[in-house]
Amino acid sequence: MTRRLPDPRPQVEIVAGRAHVVGQQCAACGLRTTLVVSACPGCRGELAPVRFGPDGTVWGSTVIRVPVAGRTPPYCLAYVDLDGGPRVLVHVKASTEPVAVGTRVRLRGDSGGDLVVELVR
Amino acid sequence: MSHQAAVLGVGTSSFGKQPEVPLAQLAWSAVQEALSDSGVDARGIEAAYVGSVLGPFGSAQRALQGLGIGRIPVITVENACASGTTAFHEACWAVREGRYETVLVLGQEHMSSRITGAIPPDLGDPEGRSGLALPGVYAMAASRYMARYGLTLRQLAQVSVKNHGHALGNSRAQYSGDYTVEEVLASPLIADPLTLLQCCPISDGAAALVVGRAAARRDAVRVRSCALRSGRAWGYRSEHAWGFEIVRETAEAAYAEAGLGASEADLFEVHDSFTIGEILSIEGLGLAAEGEGGRLTESGHTALGGPQPVNPSGGLLSRGHPLGCTGVAQLAEVTWQLRGQAGARQVEGARIGVVETMGGGVAGLDGNACVVAVLERP
Repeated sequence: MTRRLPDPRPQVEIVAGRAHVVGQQCAACGLRTTLVVSACPGCRGELAPVRFGPDGTVWGSTVIRVPVAGRTPPYCLAYVDLDGGPRVLVHVKASTEPVAVGTRVRLRGDSGGDLVVELVR
Repeated sequence: MSHQAAVLGVGTSSFGKQPEVPLAQLAWSAVQEALSDSGVDARGIEAAYVGSVLGPFGSAQRALQGLGIGRIPVITVENACASGTTAFHEACWAVREGRYETVLVLGQEHMSSRITGAIPPDLGDPEGRSGLALPGVYAMAASRYMARYGLTLRQLAQVSVKNHGHALGNSRAQYSGDYTVEEVLASPLIADPLTLLQCCPISDGAAALVVGRAAARRDAVRVRSCALRSGRAWGYRSEHAWGFEIVRETAEAAYAEAGLGASEADLFEVHDSFTIGEILSIEGLGLAAEGEGGRLTESGHTALGGPQPVNPSGGLLSRGHPLGCTGVAQLAEVTWQLRGQAGARQVEGARIGVVETMGGGVAGLDGNACVVAVLERP
């Protein structure tokens, strides 16, 4: 059943070698989101398609160390506030420790449908 | 005509992994104890409000059929971890507004037969599909709190030490123990920085309440208020950690209706599904200022024997967290406390008790549902 479920994860587009995530922005209040929604979750305004990223800042981070179906722990996750918004859930490439809050990261693309970032050095 | 709603009787099963005990049997022990405690005959129950998350469908009617309770309206509620308290919220309003005089609230869940390991993330949710198991949601809030407010690992662990210690006085709890902060921190990492002893266990259990009019019994525990909210959009524009604002808004509504504040409450049963959850909850409830929950916990303020004990039952961390049952179990604990029947874990002289349950999981929302109820002793 789940195999037929449309993938709800945000889509990545590579433009001129830079990875962006596809989402929508509210014409009324400016809210940016990657959620699949038919009206602005903040004000019910009209939404238009926009690309976000690739740079952002880590809001919070963790490493999942317990088994989750279809995945191999440990894997590092973070909420990243892309510059100007929105906040996206990402996997941090090749990290088995949480990333410090405030770390600058850049979207690299997707891996099996998951958004992936790497640290900006 | 408006009536004051009250809890007339309570009951629970024991809590823990009990795969050999059918869900209906857990419900029977809870409902029979609640009916007997209330003095209400099963024939006096006009409707049943049931909290249940994992189902299976029809499990409420199956449980009630085995007690000879049928024909009446049965309303089953799914509001994630706040399902049981949402059922209670609706029951209270039905009694207040005179729709029914006496109703049953039941929370029930049999997790050990439905899942193994952690609750699987919802593959229809963008964050669930990305591998965000629930401990991760709370773990990221903890990482944020540590960076922003200086919350320490020891303060987080102290929540677990306290609640497992409280549960030593609760024979129905799934786990209890006299742990040290070091032992909590040395238990296996689940999602950094949360260790095993900072995560609530998978549990099977049921809890029940008879809700009716305050005038029905002299020892009725009065429902001073009950508020229910769902979360707003949460993301880059939010000033607060995930799950804070929904608790604060729900608590403010409940306090306003009760005409009192957090300082007047003698005890709290709150949503400590993870240690950081209790920190966020006591701040959202106004017991501590934002960012001060860890220090308040470390001070002993929220421990049994302190001025305002939080989770004297042992909380979700120790009692266990049978999802749809939890809110009703919290209400049962506060009822026992306000009647002076909590035994070794009794909060002396408790007059006002607060229950808070918070359920989440939908990406982009500051929680699916939160209920805050204020109860007063007879």
